[in-house]
Amino acid sequence: MGANVVHLALFKETEIDHAAEAIARLRTLGVSDRDISVISGIPYSERILGRPMTWTTIGRIGLAGAVVGFLVAVFLSFGTPLLYPIRVAAMPFQPIPTSIVVIFELTMLGLLISTFIGVFVETISPSFGPRGYHPKVSDGHIGILFSSPAHAEDAVHAALQALGAEIVHNVEEERLWP
Amino acid sequence: MAVESKSLETPLPLAQAEEDPREHLMFDPRPREEMNRMVMEAMTTTSRRYWAWVIGLALVVLVCLFGAWGNMILTGMGLAGIRRPVFWGVFIVTFVFWIGISHAGTFVSAILRVFKAEFRRPFTRASELMTTFALAAGALYPLIHLGRVWVFYWLIPYPNARWLWPNFRSPLVWDFLAITTYLLSSTIYLYLPLVPDLAMARDRTTGWRHAVYRLLALGWRGTEAEWHRLRRAINIFAFAIIPVMFSVHTIVSWDFAVGVVAGWHSTIFGPYFIIGAILSGVAAVVSILFVLRSTMVHMDYFIRKEHFDALGKLLLVFSMAWAYFFFNDYLLTWYGGEETARRILTFHATGPAAWVWYLMLICNIVIPWLTLWNRTIRRTPWAMFIITLLINVGMYAERYTIIPLTLGHQRMPFDWGVYTPRPTEISIVIGTFALFLLLYLLASRLIPLVPVWEVQEGQMAHTLRRVGKAEVPSVTELE
Repeated sequence: MGANVVHLALFKETEIDHAAEAIARLRTLGVSDRDISVISGIPYSERILGRPMTWTTIGRIGLAGAVVGFLVAVFLSFGTPLLYPIRVAAMPFQPIPTSIVVIFELTMLGLLISTFIGVFVETISPSFGPRGYHPKVSDGHIGILFSSPAHAEDAVHAALQALGAEIVHNVEEERLWP
Repeated sequence: MAVESKSLETPLPLAQAEEDPREHLMFDPRPREEMNRMVMEAMTTTSRRYWAWVIGLALVVLVCLFGAWGNMILTGMGLAGIRRPVFWGVFIVTFVFWIGISHAGTFVSAILRVFKAEFRRPFTRASELMTTFALAAGALYPLIHLGRVWVFYWLIPYPNARWLWPNFRSPLVWDFLAITTYLLSSTIYLYLPLVPDLAMARDRTTGWRHAVYRLLALGWRGTEAEWHRLRRAINIFAFAIIPVMFSVHTIVSWDFAVGVVAGWHSTIFGPYFIIGAILSGVAAVVSILFVLRSTMVHMDYFIRKEHFDALGKLLLVFSMAWAYFFFNDYLLTWYGGEETARRILTFHATGPAAWVWYLMLICNIVIPWLTLWNRTIRRTPWAMFIITLLINVGMYAERYTIIPLTLGHQRMPFDWGVYTPRPTEISIVIGTFALFLLLYLLASRLIPLVPVWEVQEGQMAHTLRRVGKAEVPSVTELE
């Protein structure tokens, strides 16, 4: 069995039905979902292209950040008066109403910053599956990246070209980020 | 019956007939390649007039803002007109004004996104950019107002050399936390949906621009996973940033309301300030959209009369809401009969600076109510530009009425006084307006001002469906 080669099939966005059909055809030709990656200039939900659900941990990272922000705020509001007492006339030493403001702001700050860090980390971290890119994608094409055994190349190409795909052979992985 | 059948048979004149849906951006799609080209051309085209504006504004910032501020630092706060009994002058007025303007981006982008208002798509970025730069301009004022700006770091919550931990019960610490949270989150919220457009710009540029876009695009390819996590993050931001936005201006209002100053100690100040902020922010968005449409190439394709129309309706609603809150605050203070508060109301309406109070009412109520009900006016960009500028004049007058005019007429008659802003203060205020415009002008040639992918996504979701003899606009849920 020969080594897998990465290919890119480009479809115009107006031919999205053909792109969805092409993904189904690749499956029937023995290419697994793990070896397929779709790149596009606008978001398409998985169900439109018949792809398995994508998972992300961003929600959990955001939640964790919110918890950290909450704990920091509780420490600042209720811990620091004990460490560095400032007695203000007629004001309770650890007042709850004013602490709610600080707790709210820092909880939201934790949530939002950690959500961004989650996006950043997940975006620049190495992803698995076929990689590659073509500038036509941001010009209105849907790219189907797939890796298939070299011996199946002709059959796969013929099937996709019949659906109107423009095939790019042996896609090189482009270095898009420093 | 005869009258009814006659009216049915009489064809409507063309002007009254229903407009062609293709006049709407969502029903007038162009190929993605062409839209990318238009946005890139708008971003990279600069004329002599553009550079003249950049140089002129940079000089104004240098002289009016940094020159006057530097002189005030060297000479002392005595150069400002703030003195007993008015210690909060135009620095605080302008601070509140900019924080108010900053609400536009979040409102237009987050709230309209949550409610899936489709007309928002082409100008979300233009308004988010306004938020960031308005906050940057506004955040200068606590520093300017400090006087001793070289010890600005005392504002930051950390134990200082005297081992005094900042008092977290103080509204000044709330201010610091709220503005920092809002500035960071609105900047990130500007950046996240920008990433796919930065990747588009990366693919179409060379030289230094390519290097910058390549770095900022974070290696974006547009894979399913990337889109999925971007959408998730944008959704989290859209929902979370709304309460943050509300909290920021509420906290700004509490700077006033927590004190037992007559005219300020009001429980309605929070929502009153928020409505005012949204009114001034949305008005500023309209003003900016007019300038972008008039000065940048291809912007008339993306920014259309329908957008001015929709924002005009929103402005009318917010103007009414503002009037409601204003009257609520006014009536209860007047009816309560507390002598000092009633004297302040009389002073606002009949004192030496009563014109400010009337200007506020005319610009915030009379002008919007007389004009914005009219569809033709709402769809006339230059008219909307003038109306929205006047609304912001009115909102500035509102803050001026609330702050120095109220402070100058408190409980002790021997301590009454009229505040007059000094040239240094006026110069600094002009300087921050120039700073805002300069930052916006520079950004307009550095980042794609139209979120192309969002526009294209919207155009894909909108179609004209034939029902009987009519073509009816319909929207498909693609998410």
